[in-house]
Amino acid sequence: MTGSLNRRLFVGMLREEWRMHANLFGGARFAAFPLFVLALGAGAVWLLTTTAVATVSTLVLGVHALVFAFGLQTGTTAFLGRDAARNLLGDMTLLVFTARTLPVSQRRLLAVFLLKDAVYYSGLFMVPMALSFTPAVAAGQLAASDVALLWGTATTTFLLGVAVTFAGISLATRGVSGRVVALALGVGLAAAVVSGIDVVGYTPYGIYQGATVVETTVVLAAIPLLAVLGIAVYDPNYSTPARTAGDAYGRWRDRLPFRDDAVTAKTLIDVSRSSGGLFKIVFSGSILLAVGVFLLELAGEIASVDPAPGVTLGAILGLSAFTTYNWLTQFDDLDEYRLYPLDVADVLRAKRRAFLLVSVPTGVGFYALAVAWQSPTVWDALAGVVVHVGLQVYLFGVTVYLAGFSPNEFLFDTVLFAAFTLAVAGPVVPIVVAGFVVSAGTPAVLAGIAVGGVVLALAGGVLVRRATPKWERATRT
Amino acid sequence: MVAISTSNLRKTYGDVTALADLSLSIDEGELFGALGPNGAGKTTTIRILTGQLQPDSGTASVLGFDPVSEPVETRRHIGILPEQESPPSFLTPREYFDFVGTVRDIPSDVVDERVDAWTERLSFAEKLDTVSTDLSRGQQQKVMITQAFLHEPEVVFIDEPLANLDPIVQERVKDFLVAYRDAGNTIFISTHHIEVAEEVCSRVGIVSGGELIAERRPSELGPNESLLDTFLENVGSATAEVQGLLGP
Repeated sequence: MTGSLNRRLFVGMLREEWRMHANLFGGARFAAFPLFVLALGAGAVWLLTTTAVATVSTLVLGVHALVFAFGLQTGTTAFLGRDAARNLLGDMTLLVFTARTLPVSQRRLLAVFLLKDAVYYSGLFMVPMALSFTPAVAAGQLAASDVALLWGTATTTFLLGVAVTFAGISLATRGVSGRVVALALGVGLAAAVVSGIDVVGYTPYGIYQGATVVETTVVLAAIPLLAVLGIAVYDPNYSTPARTAGDAYGRWRDRLPFRDDAVTAKTLIDVSRSSGGLFKIVFSGSILLAVGVFLLELAGEIASVDPAPGVTLGAILGLSAFTTYNWLTQFDDLDEYRLYPLDVADVLRAKRRAFLLVSVPTGVGFYALAVAWQSPTVWDALAGVVVHVGLQVYLFGVTVYLAGFSPNEFLFDTVLFAAFTLAVAGPVVPIVVAGFVVSAGTPAVLAGIAVGGVVLALAGGVLVRRATPKWERATRT
Repeated sequence: MVAISTSNLRKTYGDVTALADLSLSIDEGELFGALGPNGAGKTTTIRILTGQLQPDSGTASVLGFDPVSEPVETRRHIGILPEQESPPSFLTPREYFDFVGTVRDIPSDVVDERVDAWTERLSFAEKLDTVSTDLSRGQQQKVMITQAFLHEPEVVFIDEPLANLDPIVQERVKDFLVAYRDAGNTIFISTHHIEVAEEVCSRVGIVSGGELIAERRPSELGPNESLLDTFLENVGSATAEVQGLLGP
């Protein structure tokens, strides 16, 4: 009976996960997503290794970092609770939340849910991601067996991310502060580094690199241990105490230069009162700054070039526009504004204003930091800031046009994601490559790049204008 | 004078027909109840009349405005209380009413005055500074009722007005709806609850299969008649017809 129930729950949850994605993105579009990941990944591996911008080992490291972040995010969505999941995915109840109404224990449901995640994501996402390295195998830069190993360690990395989040959230449901957990992890990590322990060896990436038996055992044991901890302490009925707040709406509205625009003030309050507050936007920018500086130094070492840091970092930091727009639209949807005399144009105008108030100053702030750190020439710095602002406006336009007010939901929609990837890569790759190539750059070349930034901003404006009638039509039929 | 009217409204979602051919007319000062089984087309009707959704064919008019071509202008003059809609998660009710006041151009002192009256009527003054996501479903419904009436519109559309409310507050809401109608305003209610429709509505339309199949005035029901009987007679036969159980 127990085995049969577990099997039925597992199959039910697997089917549910598929239907959830198929319902959100369309069955055929979602089914094609692994093929798209494979094509995109293989193209990137081929391009980056052929042009010597990155080595295979760097890309393998990058894949592990990406997959770990994906695991953390997946765990957050799944286990934050029904209300949080509803905010992100819409009105739905998953089998993992049915312990309240069915004679099945919450622990059993959680255990089967974790197993389902392992099988589902290792098949649909980790397999194509590992197979993306086929061009490196063909070029003799990687053994075929390493692709299989990469699939195993990438899956392990993903599960580690899910298990870490799950254990952290479970502890939080018992009153242990998330900040305390994060601090404890940080202190533990710092202590290990200071005492000379090879921390990387104790990660799935370390296994890929050839960790010792002890290191491998520790890593592989950590996942079930964290899962068991999470299952043991998770309280599905946990809810935070009711919060009260002063009148921030009036203050925000009074500060803004457009007092009659209620939606802009509301949007900014939504972001500031959600988990992480406005800091999450700063955090995204700091990650991009770190990635940009890392790439610059890597390119300098590997390809022996002296990139133009202003243009390169301006372009890379411009990518923060997508995540910021995502936060600005995460906590509402268009339908809720249809109770009032507002239309798509009103809501879009408010989102654009919020974007210009939050994203552009934050990005320019990080760019100023990058300029102070990397010391580009004056011309490079000026071209970089134009590219940065132009790219932000362009990305805003592309995202609004393609995804409307739900940018976080279209990442698994193959067609939309492909269009978005092309629309982003089209201008970003040439600018970054130009940044690597022009080196100190002549003023004329840098002026040309800056003109490109202005053109991007104009293109973004056109896309925003076209988005309004498109989404007015799409959301009322 | 007619406040709300539709003519041959039709709306489909893929293979599903939500509205087949809906025609109705509601006069100013009426409290009209749309009564029907699940999937009858009541919510779709409200969404079209409030400019949230476009019909495949047919026409609609609310206070002389066309909700299809003038959705914003229509919504400026009406109040809307959808089923299962929550106030914005991260605003407190006080901030939310301020937001609604801004959007609807209501002076802030008028907003404060009306909010005071509503918090007293629905007993939620102590929750005005609680972040909405932390309110119970019943408290959220009280907030949503208040926003629908905050600008004192001539026409209000309400989908399941008493959802999640305790019996005392239900009575107060029903009394308010009747008084609001008596003041000359028009209310369109969609509900599954026959007793609510019988108690407060001046006229009830029974909707089934996306059509208005019968109308009754509760005040005209005989001593041995009830709205439930009318509902079962009409919806039962309509369902049987759809299933091909009845002959010509």
